[in-house]
Amino acid sequence: MSLYDWLLFIHVTGAFFLIGGIVVAGILNLAAIGKERRPSEVATLYGLIRFAVPLIGLGLLLTLVIGLWLVHEAGYGYGETWIILAIVLWVLASALGNIDGRYQRRTGELAQRLAQESDTTSPELRARLVDPKALAISYGSGLMAFAVLAIMIWKPGA
Amino acid sequence: MLALIRPDSWDLPLFFHVLGATLTFGAIVTVAIVGFAGARRDSERAIWLRRLAFRIGLLVLVPSFLLMRIAGQWIADKEFPDNGPGWLDVGFIVTEPGAVLVLVMLILAWLGSRRRESRVAVVVPWLATIYIVALGIAWFAMSAKPGS
Repeated sequence: MSLYDWLLFIHVTGAFFLIGGIVVAGILNLAAIGKERRPSEVATLYGLIRFAVPLIGLGLLLTLVIGLWLVHEAGYGYGETWIILAIVLWVLASALGNIDGRYQRRTGELAQRLAQESDTTSPELRARLVDPKALAISYGSGLMAFAVLAIMIWKPGA
Repeated sequence: MLALIRPDSWDLPLFFHVLGATLTFGAIVTVAIVGFAGARRDSERAIWLRRLAFRIGLLVLVPSFLLMRIAGQWIADKEFPDNGPGWLDVGFIVTEPGAVLVLVMLILAWLGSRRRESRVAVVVPWLATIYIVALGIAWFAMSAKPGS
């Protein structure tokens, strides 16, 4: 196996970790907002979302670092349209994911606090869970990662 | 270096195959996480979490798995109309007995979600973990293509 083969495998592993982590967080988030849940249930689901964070973090790192190395190894130019587009979307997805992560952490903390108090449904918690701006940031970030996957396959402008 | 010389007509099936594979990975990891959380028989949330693991398996894992497998066959037919190389066989080994494993896992997840005392609920996240490892082997074979 050549260096290119190894780099491609590690890069693809990064993509699996990144998109897999996004899918884990997305499914558990949907399970939390899908119906009116008690704060303790929301806290449980948000507690499980934490397992997706290292996957997403490692995926972000591997896709970028090994991806840039692959560009050099395969003889592509760093100024090619598809590479610039992928990097811009990667940065945007990371930034939005970071904002979303902090918002979700505060929502999880609120759910935890409410669960310890009375564990009855709360309009405040519900409002945070279905906030359209927060959902747009969350799902927008995830969709950008899927768009990067499409760019990697079609390589527009290559 | 296949990606560098791939015909354009392979792009769509390859995209669906990789998309299906990454969704399958995310779904099976979620089943494992929720399954382990619901495996404890003394947990008051056990039944709810086991039902959730079953629903994720049925509604997310199965469609993702089908997307991966059907698109994989589509591109395999285009790329290797006659005999495929060894690394391609790894993909078939992971998806064909893998389909049986997923089916068994779903049946056990459904059985485990009916009673809190059920012992089979413990098996579900472990089967999911085995399939995560199998998927890892498949994506190594598919991306690094050892022996080609």
